[in-house]
Amino acid sequence: MAITWRAVALTAVGALPVALWPVPGTVLAWAVLCALLCVVDAVLAASPRAVAIRREVTGAVRLHEPARSRLTLTHTGARRLRALVRDAWQPSAGAAQNRHRVDLPPGESRRLDTALRPSRRGDLHADRVTIRSLGPLGLAARQASIDVPGTQRVLPEFASRRHLPSRLARLREMDGRAAVQVRGQGTEFDSLREYVIGDDVRSIDWRASARRADVVVRTWRPERDRRVLIVLDTSRTSAARTGEEPRLEPSVEAALLLAALAARAGDRVELLAYDRTVRARVAGASGPRLMPAIADALADVEPSLVEADWPGIVAQVQERLSQRALVVLLSALDPAAVENGLLRVVDQLASRHQVVLASVQDPEVERLRTGREDVSALFDAAAAERTGLERAAVAVRLRSHGVEVVDALPEDLAPRLADTYLALKAAGRL
Amino acid sequence: MTAPSTTRPPRPAAPGTPPGADGVVLGDGTTARSRAGARWRRVRWLVVVAVVLGIGALAAILPAPTRSSTALAPDNPRGNGAMALAQVLGDQGVRVDYVRTAGAAVEAAEAGRTLLVTSDWFLTDEQMDAVAGTRADLVLLDPYLLLDRVVPGLTTGWSGGQQPGALDASCTDPDAEAAGSISATGAGVTPTGAEPPAGTTLCFPLPGSSPQAYLFSVSEVDDRRVTVVGDAGLITNDRITDAGNAALALRALGRTPDLVWYVPSADDLALDAGTGPGLGDLLPPTARALLLQALVVVLALAVWRARRLGRVVAERLPVVVRPAETTRGRARLYRTSRSYGHAAAALRAGTAARLARRLGVPASAGAPEVVAAVARAGRRDETDVRDLLYGPPPTSDAGLEHLARRLDQLESEVHPT
Repeated sequence: MAITWRAVALTAVGALPVALWPVPGTVLAWAVLCALLCVVDAVLAASPRAVAIRREVTGAVRLHEPARSRLTLTHTGARRLRALVRDAWQPSAGAAQNRHRVDLPPGESRRLDTALRPSRRGDLHADRVTIRSLGPLGLAARQASIDVPGTQRVLPEFASRRHLPSRLARLREMDGRAAVQVRGQGTEFDSLREYVIGDDVRSIDWRASARRADVVVRTWRPERDRRVLIVLDTSRTSAARTGEEPRLEPSVEAALLLAALAARAGDRVELLAYDRTVRARVAGASGPRLMPAIADALADVEPSLVEADWPGIVAQVQERLSQRALVVLLSALDPAAVENGLLRVVDQLASRHQVVLASVQDPEVERLRTGREDVSALFDAAAAERTGLERAAVAVRLRSHGVEVVDALPEDLAPRLADTYLALKAAGRL
Repeated sequence: MTAPSTTRPPRPAAPGTPPGADGVVLGDGTTARSRAGARWRRVRWLVVVAVVLGIGALAAILPAPTRSSTALAPDNPRGNGAMALAQVLGDQGVRVDYVRTAGAAVEAAEAGRTLLVTSDWFLTDEQMDAVAGTRADLVLLDPYLLLDRVVPGLTTGWSGGQQPGALDASCTDPDAEAAGSISATGAGVTPTGAEPPAGTTLCFPLPGSSPQAYLFSVSEVDDRRVTVVGDAGLITNDRITDAGNAALALRALGRTPDLVWYVPSADDLALDAGTGPGLGDLLPPTARALLLQALVVVLALAVWRARRLGRVVAERLPVVVRPAETTRGRARLYRTSRSYGHAAAALRAGTAARLARRLGVPASAGAPEVVAAVARAGRRDETDVRDLLYGPPPTSDAGLEHLARRLDQLESEVHPT
C-alpha cells in the first residue's frame, strides 16, 4: 500500500476543523478519518497482481545505441486499473523514462515502451515491474513488484569502424600494387599478362611466352587466406583504467577493427579471449558471419582480477594453429607482467608465428610526463619518463625476440594495430 | 507494504512465477495469505523488540518511586527519614505536600498553611528571602542563616555531634508543655540581645550552655507563627519515639490542615525553576492544536515520500585500478627522498631517447654518437650538449627545474636536418 499527495493534502485540510475546534481530539479524529479513507480507497483499487505482463526487448544493439523495452499489460481484473508502472532496469541500461501512467478498463491491453540507452557492454537485465494501482479517490494505492525477466544484449561499440574505410582503401591500393612482380615470401601467383616496358625482366615467364607470340610476365599478389589469431588478454592488467574505461575496451575496439580489416583482406580470422581459462572464442566463422560472431563473443567479456596464464595461452595458440599465422596479443606492455609472463614463453610463439603485441598506454602517464608546473610535477614527470623508458626497454626486448610491439594511447590503438597489420601484409611477413 | 530493498541484478528467471510459454507473467505468485505470512515473518522480530521495549517503558513509568532515601523526607522509611511522622500526620488529617524546590515551596506556602524547612544549608540568599517572605507558618529545623531573616534577634550555633540527652520544657508554651521532656541535642537558639525578641518563647534549655541556648523557640512575628527546632534529628524515624519527641513534632507540624514539607536539594539553585510559564503555556490553544495537526501532516508527507515505486536496482561495477598509480608512487618516492639524481637521470634519458629516435641514431649507439648527432642538428657546442644530457646531477629544486627547462628547450630546438 502507498498513499499519494492527495492523502497528504487531505490531512492538511484538517487544519480547518482543528482551527474551529482547537482540541487534540479533533486532530486525532481527522487523522483517523484520513486513515480510514485511505484504507477504503486502497481496498477499492484494482489488484496490481491481476495484470498479465509480457515483455519484449529489442535484439542486440551496439553500446550507446538506443534500444527499447516494451511491456504489454493486459488487465484481467474486474475494476478499472489506474496505475503508475515502473519498468526497472539495471542503471547501466539507461532507462531514463521508465515510469508510465496507465488507465486500463478491464480486459484491455496497453503497450508501454521504455527507451534504453545502454552504457555498458554485455547482458543487461531487467529488474521487476512495479505496478502502483490507485484507488477511485486517488488517495491511496496498492503496489506490487513483479518479476518479468528480460535481457538486453549490448554489443561492443566498434567506434573504431570509422577507421575502416581508410584502411580498406590502403588495402585495395596494396592489392592494386599487387602486381609485385618479384616473387617473395608472402606473395602468391596472381596472373599472366603481357610485358610492358618497365616490367622487371626477371618476372618474364619464358615458358608462357614461348607458347604465345608475346612476351608474358607473371604477376604476384600478396598472399591471401593467411590465418590471423587475435588473443585478448582479460587478466588483471586489462582491468586497469585508462581514462574512463578499463584497458580492455580499447583492446576490444582494436580487435574488432583488425578482424574486420583482415576478413576483408581475405584472411581467416579467429579470436580467443583468455586469462586462466577461455572467456570467449570465435573460430571457423567467415564472410558476413564473422563480425557478428566476434561482436557477440566479445559482448560480455569482462576483465577478471586474475594473473594471466601465459603457458595456457601458448598452449591454446599451438592447439589452434598448425601453420604459420599472425598472432595478435592484445595485452599490456607492463614491464613486470611481461617479464614474468610473456617473455618466458614468447620464443615458443615467435619461432612459429608472427607475433604482434598491442598494448594500451595510459594517457595519464603521458600527461604526467609533460607536467612542468612545479618541482613535484617535475618528479612526476621524471617518474613517468622512467615508466616510459621501462616500457620501451621491454618493447626492445620483445622485438629482439621477433615480436612486433604496438604501444598506443587508447584512441590510437585500433588504427595503429590496423596499420601494423597492413605493413606486415605489405611486407609479406604474414 | 514491502520495505524498499537493494538487490543485485535479478536472476534471469523469477523463481515463483516462470513466465508462460508466450512470456506472459500474471501476478507474482503470491496470495493475500502468503503475503501476510511473509510480512509477519519479516516483522516479527521487530514486533518482539517493540513489545519488550514497550513493557520496559511501562515498567519505568508506572510504579512511580514512592520511597526515597533522602534524609528527613516524608517518603523515606529508613532511620534518617521521617516517614513515620508524615504518616501519623496524614492519619490525623493533615495533608502533607512534599516539595524539593524552593520555587514549589514558596508557591505552595500560602497563608494558613505550615511550611516545614528541614535545613537551610542548600538555600541561596534569594531562596532564603523568598522562604522568609511567605505568609505561611514556618517550622525551621536546625536553621542557620534563615533564622535571622525570619525572626530578627534570634540566632543559632553549629549543632550536632553530641549524643541526644533528655531536656525539659521549662517554659509555658503549650506544645512544649505537652511534650514535657524530649531527647535531643544541638547548639540551640540564643537571643542576640539580652532579652529574647517580643513574642518569642524559648523552651528546652540546653544544660551547660553559655549564653543560655534553647532547643525550641516559638515566635509570633508578622502575624505568623515561627517554630524553630534546633535538632533536625528529632523528627527522624529513629528518634521520633524517644521521650516527648513525637508530641512536640506532631503539635508543631499539625497546627494547620495543610503542611508543605520542604527538603531543600543541592541542585536547586534557581528560585523560579519550573514555576514560570513554559513555551507551551504562552501559545494559544489554537496554535497548539494546529502544531499537532502539522505534525500529523508531516507524518503523512513522510509516509507518502518514503514508499518507493519498486526497489533500488544495484549493479556490480567494474573494479577501478588506476595504472598511473605506480608511476605516481614512484614520483612520491623521488620527492620524499629528494632524489634529484634519479629524477634528472630519468628526464635526461627520456629526452636523449626521443632525440636519438628523431635524429635516426640507432638505439644501440652510445652517448658520444647521440651527443654528436644532437650537437650537429641543434647547432650547439658538443660539450654543452654533453653537459646537458650526461652532466652531473642537480642538487636542488632550482637545479632540477633549470635542467628540465633546458632539456625542453633542447628538445624543441633539435630537428633532423
